[in-house]
Amino acid sequence: MIETVNGHASAPILEVRGVSKWFAGLKALDCVNLTVQEGSIHAIIGPNGAGKSTLLNVLIGLIEADDGTITYAGETLKGLSPHNIIQKGIARVFQTPQIFPALSLVENVAIAILAKRDGKFSIRLLEALRPGHPVVELAAEHLREVGLADHLQSEAQHLSRGDKRRLELALCLAAEPRLLLLDEPTAGMSRHDTNRTIDLLQHLSRKGMTKIVIEHDMHVVFSLADRISVLAQGAVIAEGVPEDVRGNPKVQQAYLGEASA
Amino acid sequence: MSEVTERSALGGKVAGIGVRLPTLLTRRDLVVLVVFAIAVLTMPTWLVALGGYEALATKIVIWAIFALGFDILLGLTGYLSFGHAAFFGTAAYVTGLSLKHLSADILPAMALSFVVVLVVALALGVLTLRRSGIYFAILTLAFAEMAHALVLSSTLQKWTGGDNGLTGLASPSLFGSRLSDHSVFYICSALLIAGYVFARVLRRSPLGLMLRSIKENQMRLEYTGVNVFAYKMAAFVVSAMYAGLAGSLMVIYEPYVATKYLYWSTSGEVVIMSVIGGVGTLIGPIFGAGFMLYFENVVQAFIGEQWKLLLGIIFVAIVIFLPGGFADLGRLGWKAMGGVVRSRRHNVPDMPGSVEEDRRRRQRGDLEEDDD
Repeated sequence: MIETVNGHASAPILEVRGVSKWFAGLKALDCVNLTVQEGSIHAIIGPNGAGKSTLLNVLIGLIEADDGTITYAGETLKGLSPHNIIQKGIARVFQTPQIFPALSLVENVAIAILAKRDGKFSIRLLEALRPGHPVVELAAEHLREVGLADHLQSEAQHLSRGDKRRLELALCLAAEPRLLLLDEPTAGMSRHDTNRTIDLLQHLSRKGMTKIVIEHDMHVVFSLADRISVLAQGAVIAEGVPEDVRGNPKVQQAYLGEASA
Repeated sequence: MSEVTERSALGGKVAGIGVRLPTLLTRRDLVVLVVFAIAVLTMPTWLVALGGYEALATKIVIWAIFALGFDILLGLTGYLSFGHAAFFGTAAYVTGLSLKHLSADILPAMALSFVVVLVVALALGVLTLRRSGIYFAILTLAFAEMAHALVLSSTLQKWTGGDNGLTGLASPSLFGSRLSDHSVFYICSALLIAGYVFARVLRRSPLGLMLRSIKENQMRLEYTGVNVFAYKMAAFVVSAMYAGLAGSLMVIYEPYVATKYLYWSTSGEVVIMSVIGGVGTLIGPIFGAGFMLYFENVVQAFIGEQWKLLLGIIFVAIVIFLPGGFADLGRLGWKAMGGVVRSRRHNVPDMPGSVEEDRRRRQRGDLEEDDD
């Protein structure tokens, strides 16, 4: 299946087939199928408890699916440890920002650059990570890109929640992923910051980065997404381009109706 | 390698970063190191002026090596081991056995204990590092106690001397000449200074950043594509090697192996030294080692058996009022003078669980606050 996204032909970078996950008798994911085209922005929406974050957790190996297959760039991800999955070019922004609290912003981002440069493990002793070191300079550049240039040396824990989110985004972008997973990247941000984040994400898509976005804010979803999958009670109830999903009565009943009420 | 070309097609900046690196040690580092080296090498002199005796200086230097290595695991990586006596004691016994049965030369003894401690550290690391916080502390304690019991067991008594410890060792020599007390002091001091340089370089290196980020958020580290377990193992082994070096030097300093080198109290003492001095500061635990041994050997002469009571009070006071240890006094002074200080995590067991524990909980569905 070849589709055209953003004007150039693309193949699926991620294929999820029949993935199921039970939590103590509760079905969190029910035979989920998902196809994501390279270079596209794929939104996953759905009411609370629909299993959206669980799906992302399965993708990065945080939890193991009970059933189904996940193929990324032609390779199966089954049985790989999380760091091996991430090393294949995936990055994840969590719903609760996951950063290194007592490290400086530059150090936070430098870790991702080092993980990309040196791989999952390497003993590098004879380098001093001081200003002037290329990794430190590149980290600062990434921080400027997300608008955190003023706080390079301050500690991550002192940032506001919205800034922590941007820091985590900078950290993920520094790893130069092919596939970026975003779990509510704009939650808790002002409208102004939300729009800036949208611009940044669109800019990155033009550079060819694929994204899966979980989002509650329909403004964000409809301004960003090339395709949308709707999850309810662990199952995909609709999938398609934004216009089709918006008009789908099942979706309106399960989610949009509830949200606009 | 198709993977590489695909990635660089995205216009990756990492692939294009330069190789010109800043110098390893700044002028400030060199000043600190020179001051440190002078303070260590002149210790026999100034210690006597403070009421101590020359031989105590050697003992302090040896324990400082132990405490410094311990800080790489506790202070940088955030793992509180209660079983580092296992490495200190193992090296002491191996050194003792080598001096007694193989050769009076210290080089084969030290080389042998180096290898044995490396193997023991790798084995214990694999078994204990899957857990964090209090579970890790208990596991390391359990293994150290097993080692202690093993040494006292009747089967090994013939080799280890059982309760009496290992006695009747040849007096240590180097290249055929017997080592004087002075040369032992200078050998230990040189190793402490080298160990301190290594630890400082490590702290600022990419490896050191990885270790410090384990303490901060190992889940984020794993999901940034880093093999957290391998780095934990590196920190554990490096700190065990310091402990082993100290244990080995202890027997060279005093050619006798006491069973207490493997006992939990030895592990406990190094923890107390670190906390008193300042966890995570590298220099703090070195200072803590000096303070504690000074107390044990000099202050005791004045106040008798009550020295432990007084030390206990000081320990409690530091934990409550100065959680950053003595090293924090310097930081507070710097701040009072208008300098900028970075906040520092003093304690450890409040750290989040290890990646494996986190995954296991999520696998069971116990941890779903992330999911909605």
